[in-house]
Amino acid sequence: MDRSWNWRLAIVLVVTVLSVYQLIPTWHYFKLSPEARNTDVFDKSVPSWAPKARKHLTLGLDLQGGIHLALGVDVDKAVKAKVTRRADEIASWLKEKKVAFDGCAPSADGVRVECRTTDAAALEKSVSDGYGNEMYVPAGAPAGTVQFGFMDKVVQEFRAKAVEQAEKTIRNRIDKWGVTEPDIKRKGTNQVQIQLPGFKDPQKAKELIGRTAQLEFRICDDESPALDPIRSQLPVCPSGRDGMHFPLPEGGCWTVENVELPTGASRENTVVAAADRAQLDKVIAEKVKPLIDPSKQAIGVGESFVGEGAFRKGYHRTFLMRSRVEMTGDYIADARASFDQGAIGGGKPIVTFAMSAEGARLMEKLTTENVKRRMATVLDDKVETAPYIQSTISSNGQITLGGGKSFQEMNEEANEIALVLKAGALPAPVTIFEERTVGATLGPELVKKGTLAALVGLGIVLVFMALYYRGSGLIADVALALNGVLVLAVMSMFGSTLTLPGIAGFVLTLGMAVDANVLINERIREELRAGKGTKQAVQLGYDKVFWTIVDAHVTTLAAAVVLMNYGTGPVRGFAVTLIIGLLASMFTSIVVTRVMMEYFTRHETARLSV
Amino acid sequence: MIFKSFDIVPHGTKFDFVGKRHIAVVLSLIVNLAVIGWSIKGLNFGVDFAGGTEMEVKFSQAVDPGAIRHGVEELGFKDASVQTYGAESENTFLIRVGRVAMMSAADFEKVVQAVRAQLPVKGSPSFNADMGDKIEFQFESPVDTAALRAAVEGAGVRVADVRNEQGLAAGTRSYTVITQGIREKVEHDLGVRFAQAKPEVRRVEYVGPAVGRELRNQGFKAVLYAMALIVIYVGLRFDFRFSPGVIIAIVHDAIITFGYFAFSGREFNLTSIAVILTVVGYSVNDTVVVYDRIRENGLKLQGKALGDIVNLSINETLGRTFLTSFATALSLIGLLIFGVGEIWDFAMAMLIGIVVGTYSTWFIAAPMTVWLEERAAKKAGAKATIA
Repeated sequence: MDRSWNWRLAIVLVVTVLSVYQLIPTWHYFKLSPEARNTDVFDKSVPSWAPKARKHLTLGLDLQGGIHLALGVDVDKAVKAKVTRRADEIASWLKEKKVAFDGCAPSADGVRVECRTTDAAALEKSVSDGYGNEMYVPAGAPAGTVQFGFMDKVVQEFRAKAVEQAEKTIRNRIDKWGVTEPDIKRKGTNQVQIQLPGFKDPQKAKELIGRTAQLEFRICDDESPALDPIRSQLPVCPSGRDGMHFPLPEGGCWTVENVELPTGASRENTVVAAADRAQLDKVIAEKVKPLIDPSKQAIGVGESFVGEGAFRKGYHRTFLMRSRVEMTGDYIADARASFDQGAIGGGKPIVTFAMSAEGARLMEKLTTENVKRRMATVLDDKVETAPYIQSTISSNGQITLGGGKSFQEMNEEANEIALVLKAGALPAPVTIFEERTVGATLGPELVKKGTLAALVGLGIVLVFMALYYRGSGLIADVALALNGVLVLAVMSMFGSTLTLPGIAGFVLTLGMAVDANVLINERIREELRAGKGTKQAVQLGYDKVFWTIVDAHVTTLAAAVVLMNYGTGPVRGFAVTLIIGLLASMFTSIVVTRVMMEYFTRHETARLSV
Repeated sequence: MIFKSFDIVPHGTKFDFVGKRHIAVVLSLIVNLAVIGWSIKGLNFGVDFAGGTEMEVKFSQAVDPGAIRHGVEELGFKDASVQTYGAESENTFLIRVGRVAMMSAADFEKVVQAVRAQLPVKGSPSFNADMGDKIEFQFESPVDTAALRAAVEGAGVRVADVRNEQGLAAGTRSYTVITQGIREKVEHDLGVRFAQAKPEVRRVEYVGPAVGRELRNQGFKAVLYAMALIVIYVGLRFDFRFSPGVIIAIVHDAIITFGYFAFSGREFNLTSIAVILTVVGYSVNDTVVVYDRIRENGLKLQGKALGDIVNLSINETLGRTFLTSFATALSLIGLLIFGVGEIWDFAMAMLIGIVVGTYSTWFIAAPMTVWLEERAAKKAGAKATIA
């Protein structure tokens, strides 16, 4: 045998071993009962030398039960809300500039700001000075009025932001329920798609997801030592050089946080932390709540992070706040990420926000009374940030960010906070476009039937090949089995989901993998009939059929790729399986069977049953 | 080995595929036109494409489908369809209604009147039957949600939830009333009607009509894109003179596969699009095998008439074009035995697509190329050959 054959054999063996190795987590995953699969029982059952436990095949929603929702974000309403607020802003701008006008309000269709005036030219000029970079003056305003519309790119941005907010809000809420492996992503221009495997209560899911975000401002009660007794009830959190050290003990732990007090002194505040929200909520209910005075205090939960980049890990922690909700998001007119204007250390990312007229009054009072205290912004029951109030804020405020972070991180954080503040300001309701709920009892039955169907299909094909092509048929059968292993291994590696149509796709790719072997064997038969020697017939057969196999696979691949881009959920699962199957089939038919065939026909006198 | 090597398709056949093309074309044309005509009459669109609500309900004992339909119709769904799902013995039914909202425009008017009579509604409340069971109310000042709920229920519409949301303009409040949806209504009604048979809702699919339309259009486009990609690939790899034959063959295969859904009245949904796309990609495989041989023979037998080369090439490759399809078809047997519902349809339509794909390779694609070449040659006054 020549060197090239040795190399090819080595590749085949390596691929085979790696595939089997890759399937270890998947093997352990399916060995467990469906209830135990998504818990840490699974993590523990996978041996430490195996690939990362996350890399396993999961069952699609159609096979394990759960909820698939596609939510449409009412972006037009978000834009209309923006117009309403902008009308207020323009009114106060005009008042400030002393331009004569008789009120500004949204136009009848709600998409423009309409100001009534007797001096249209002056009003138009003044507003253009202030808002010219975002708004333009469309033609066709009713007599005695001037209209201002948002430029297209601005409207696009509002829409995109509204969807982004909706996604963020939904993610927050879902994190709170502790659903395992939820999949939340934006789809198209106005949709958010949510997959909740194993989740059984669609009514609850819809109810919680459908609400618009609730934003509250509360003052942190940093002076209170109420939480200190927890130190004797919980273990202390393990800490490393740069803060929290993972993993955190199960059932929560305590740590300290240095806070500055209005008096100028500082204090070590007790904070309770846990790895996830569900755990922390439990600790709070059982151990923390009894320590506080509910008429005056409340416990907020936020998320903190340690490490950077790929090492970044989050945990949940408590904030001790006053029970009174000082303000709600209704009063915020707008918020955006911006940059610090200062001469020294300028250009740092900050968040600026604007209050509505009524909000400004409340904010002024609140901030004057609580200078140097922390104000927690709570979005949907999650403390997003708790910056110190540096000075009195009224209609326009800004939030400076804590130090010790890179510019990139600060910028991201600023955008995040702006989004949170705006989430309170812009109501962007969601509607359910698509809902697919699969009960938990349906899945196992389908898995059983699907597996049976696949095995029967595979069996029939194997028997046919062995009977029809005999020796070469058996070689094709070995390749076919390897093909199956390879497909499952690659799917496991990418953590793909197996759906019901995916099983059908798997079966189909096995059939198609045989096609290539049929082409090869038929060609070899033809060469043998033409009087070629066995060895030569095999070589010629593979060489001549190579491009045919590639062509046949590429055309089907083209269709599968289009399907992957079109389909969602189960159908996408089918396309993914088909693509992986076709690639594996090319490898097994062109490389694997050839290595075996060449081995069996290595002598000129060899005979081949084909 | 006990078996001696045998060929399912004997080699050395001399069937005149090119000569029979007229009969084949007429036959295919009739079938294709029949499919198109039949599908204009109406396809059984699933909720994916038509929008609506679909529920899979399993009963613990035998239930008369007529009684289920009657029950669903009494709830006000005149267009409800009730199908047995899977084997008879499983007592499972698919209930489909075309609407996504329980409430009709008339109900909505009644609700608005009732609420206006009791609470200070600002502007006109909004309701969109395409979007489900939501009514949005605006008020000048906060109102009691219980009072709002009572007002809506007073008008005869059951309320699932009342949400308090922020108003658009400063100071105003907006409330969203979620009325009881189709799933809850049907589930409740079946539970009462068939208490003994313990109905269990195993799966619910709900697709808004706007999304349905979008999915339908996208699905149609996806099929076209895939066809275009394949035609371009085959054109680049072989010769663009082969393209018309390929186009005609894949359109032919796609239409006939589609015909399965049109004639059988089985549900046409996302999975059906997946089948058609796969058939389009797969049926070209055989065509590619034959074209490859035509090119090979064309070089070997220069000067021979194109028709003869094509006939020879199809005959020489008859074994493999038949066997590849046969092997793939074999793999589908398991799905045909154990598959239920859309998976069975998937396997059946795929099987038809595979068979038709092979037929079109033999009788449509390659002979079409000959026909087109001969026409072009007649115009140019030369003899058709291939190089």
